[in-house]
Amino acid sequence: MNASILWIFLPMGAGTILLFLRNERWVAFVAGSLSALLALIAWLLPIENAYAIGNYAFKLSSTFEILGRRLILTANEQPMLTLIYGAAAFWFIASSSIGKAHRLIPLGLIVTGLLVASLAVEPFLYAALLIEVAVLLTTPLLLPPHQKPGRGLLRFITFQTLAMPLILFTGWLLRGIEADPGANALIRQAAILLGIGFVFLLAVIPFHTWIPLLGEESSPYLTGFVFWVFPTFALLFGAGFIDRYAWIRTAPQLPSILSAVGALMVAGGGLLAAIQNNLGRILGYAVLVETGFSLLALSLLEAQGIELFFLLFVPRLIAMGLLALGLETLKKDAAGLDFAQVRGLARPWPFAAASLLLAALSLAGLPALAGFPIRLAIWESLATVSLPATAWTLVGSLGLGIAALRAAAALVAAPAQAAWEARESWPERLFMSLGWLVLFGLGAFPQWMIPLLNRLPAIFEHLGH
Amino acid sequence: MLILLPTLFLLITALALLLLRLGKPQFRYGWLTAASGTILTVAGVFLWRIGFPYEYGLPAWQPATIFHYSPAWLADGFSWPYALALAGLSAAVIWTSIVRAESDPLTWAASLLVTAFGLLAVSAANPLTLVLAWTAIDLVELVAMLRSTQNPDQTEGVMVAFAARLLGTALVLWAAIRSAAGGVRMDFASIPPEAGLYLLLAVGLRLGILPLHLPYQQETNIRRGFGTILRLVSAASSLALLTRIPSRAIDTPLTPYLLVLTALGGLYAGWMWLRASDELTGRPFWLLGMAALALSASLRANPAGSAAWGLTLSTGGGFLFLYSARQRGSLWLALLSGLGLSALPFLLAASGWPSGSTALAVFILPYLPIQALLMAGFVRHALHPGEVSLESQPGWARGLYLFGLLLLIAIQILLGLWGWEGAAVVGVWWAALASLGMAAGLLVLGLRFLSRTAPAGSGGRWADILRLNWLYRFLWGLFRLAERLGRALTGAIEGEGGILWSLLLLVLLLSLFAGGGR
Repeated sequence: MNASILWIFLPMGAGTILLFLRNERWVAFVAGSLSALLALIAWLLPIENAYAIGNYAFKLSSTFEILGRRLILTANEQPMLTLIYGAAAFWFIASSSIGKAHRLIPLGLIVTGLLVASLAVEPFLYAALLIEVAVLLTTPLLLPPHQKPGRGLLRFITFQTLAMPLILFTGWLLRGIEADPGANALIRQAAILLGIGFVFLLAVIPFHTWIPLLGEESSPYLTGFVFWVFPTFALLFGAGFIDRYAWIRTAPQLPSILSAVGALMVAGGGLLAAIQNNLGRILGYAVLVETGFSLLALSLLEAQGIELFFLLFVPRLIAMGLLALGLETLKKDAAGLDFAQVRGLARPWPFAAASLLLAALSLAGLPALAGFPIRLAIWESLATVSLPATAWTLVGSLGLGIAALRAAAALVAAPAQAAWEARESWPERLFMSLGWLVLFGLGAFPQWMIPLLNRLPAIFEHLGH
Repeated sequence: MLILLPTLFLLITALALLLLRLGKPQFRYGWLTAASGTILTVAGVFLWRIGFPYEYGLPAWQPATIFHYSPAWLADGFSWPYALALAGLSAAVIWTSIVRAESDPLTWAASLLVTAFGLLAVSAANPLTLVLAWTAIDLVELVAMLRSTQNPDQTEGVMVAFAARLLGTALVLWAAIRSAAGGVRMDFASIPPEAGLYLLLAVGLRLGILPLHLPYQQETNIRRGFGTILRLVSAASSLALLTRIPSRAIDTPLTPYLLVLTALGGLYAGWMWLRASDELTGRPFWLLGMAALALSASLRANPAGSAAWGLTLSTGGGFLFLYSARQRGSLWLALLSGLGLSALPFLLAASGWPSGSTALAVFILPYLPIQALLMAGFVRHALHPGEVSLESQPGWARGLYLFGLLLLIAIQILLGLWGWEGAAVVGVWWAALASLGMAAGLLVLGLRFLSRTAPAGSGGRWADILRLNWLYRFLWGLFRLAERLGRALTGAIEGEGGILWSLLLLVLLLSLFAGGGR
């Protein structure tokens, strides 16, 4: 048995088969169970160990060769696989409660498999191609049949596609640098190309426009999945670059560039979120803020920064999932997600409205919610390096908090005679309540993430060591 | 662990009430359960004094290399009086509810929950614990207020109040971050000087006094008992922080200006309190006026004095807001409670007037009228006929009700004598006498000549100026301008030519960075 078959080809194959299964619940059940099982296996069974089930003995081997390239998943990557497939299970299972399982799951599984492959492929640069294929497969996921693509989707494909040649070209330059490490001109060119490539890939301001546009025009839950999966993999891919190449890792400008871009994204994203009148766009700007915090964590470089980088993943997953679930639920009763269209919907849909508010406030770093402990740690660490950058990130977080409160004010502004009720289905209520519990639980006890955190930094050979 | 015992009593009682309400709606001993829980809580707070002072923390946040703070609580001379006042308040709310039409176990459970969070806030040992408890209180208040408001204006007020509280919380975080930048980890046993002013502003902002803002134009139809708990616990949890700020930490050139600003807010609040139609309508102004006095003590380098005013706010205010069933014979109770506000020697507020700095002692003068207005208003509202007549209540209900009120008065007297080191003092006796004299005059004026203003939110041009509405309108205008600019920018880069604009912006940014690197 090969690890790549288990964590790359099996989900992709399952996704292809599920395309033909029409029953929403079955699709969600099969995909959710498979993803949870893959997460569990990644947690419990180390790669390169031999196992026996009855008379059947097998070994999980790490390397898989295909078309002259290699896919390598070692024991070091297993905590990351746990995180990715655990998160996929979360998205897939909850999708059944809002009737989005069939739209999301088959392609979602294939995209997840491709993105895992992007982290496993050798030579490393082929990841850009795999990411591009995943981006293209996202189109039918986001776009209902017979509907014209909106500006957000087109721009998403355009910007992500622009990133690919830049990163591939960097790879070509890198061979020259490996041959002659002293070639400063070549290093500078590679750094600029790589930087611009990642600016596109990570939707750094001003190349972020696809995010709010997509948030406005597409299904919130499906968009939420895309907003979670692509930035997460792009960040891991980027961190992998830093880890792999000493000339990047040791560049004296790297921390200040990462910190400047991170602060720009947090402050810009937060302030722009504060002036939005559409809930989907607010979700989009929250993604920018999150990416910004990840870059800020990376800018700290030391072990502490890498731990923070990984600690951000779980609260982000829960908050974005809950936010997307809340929005999708509200959208059942509204023509769109403009404030005017959702006015007063908190009374008939209190679980969805509360989920939206709590998730947005968690992303803003409200104390007692999951996002807070990590943000506080980032602020404290960053303050020792740059107080102005810290102040800007605090302003950005406040901006996102204002956006959340403006949204809440619109949602609760009902006519006096409107009664409080709960129109959410029981599964929706269950998922949302569980989400609240996790948000509050991680906000008060962030050490619950320690088992995952202890193993995650092993993905990197140099970063954080 | 003793420090968490009262909180556990409250949480267990609240949970029991909730489960009983859901599982056995006909259960007849809900009140008895709640009342017993609160009495145990009061007793539990007294247990704090065993092995006093001490700190207790939950298991540390891990990894310790990242998380420098963990939730921890401190039982000492300043957290104990606040805890006792809050525990007494919750007991009084439950015991006096017998004469009000408040028999919903869910409301009692909510009151106990808020008090539990309040206890966690007033005993917080570090900024992390404080902001966690503050946020818990704010979220409960947000939910309660949103459920009780009916019109969009009130809803907007609720959101503005929540936003102001969050800003206050952010200021505490900023104080901690500033300390971290200086290589010092801030805890309440040692607040670095650069953090003091931020903490003070955080308290001012949360209480609505610095800068003056009144998000609740009028009280909602929230129940008297729960409303009292909500408002007073929230205020006390903020004021408790003032006792932690050492005087050297707010020794800045801004102090005199802050004292003047606070005095203006306090005078306005005191006047509106005196004029209010009843004590519930005037409650926001009571909180503002007392908060102004507490802040002024802190600004005059007398952090212990802030506790004197803060505790008077909770116990004296608690008494008046719960004193809903009245009769002539019970008026002496109100006068006794009101006397605690007078700052006469050995009474609770006596340590409120001394100043830690002789240069700032003169600043007590503008605050004397504030105290006088608050006292006069207190007596005026106490003289007003209550919601129901006490005579109409059965004997056992009268007994339970009076026990609740007497508990608050007893705590008020006890804290004045034994609350903290230096509580029982003569104080500035001439200031107390002067304000008492002024209060007598104002009371006569109030009773004879002043009409009661109906909605607390009303007011003319002066009110508009004093409430800084002009400033908020200006800030709102700035926000709208920023909104328009932001939309124009967003429209440009998201429009048809957006990709070109984005590329242009990128080139500009790159050239900026390249220039900076040179």
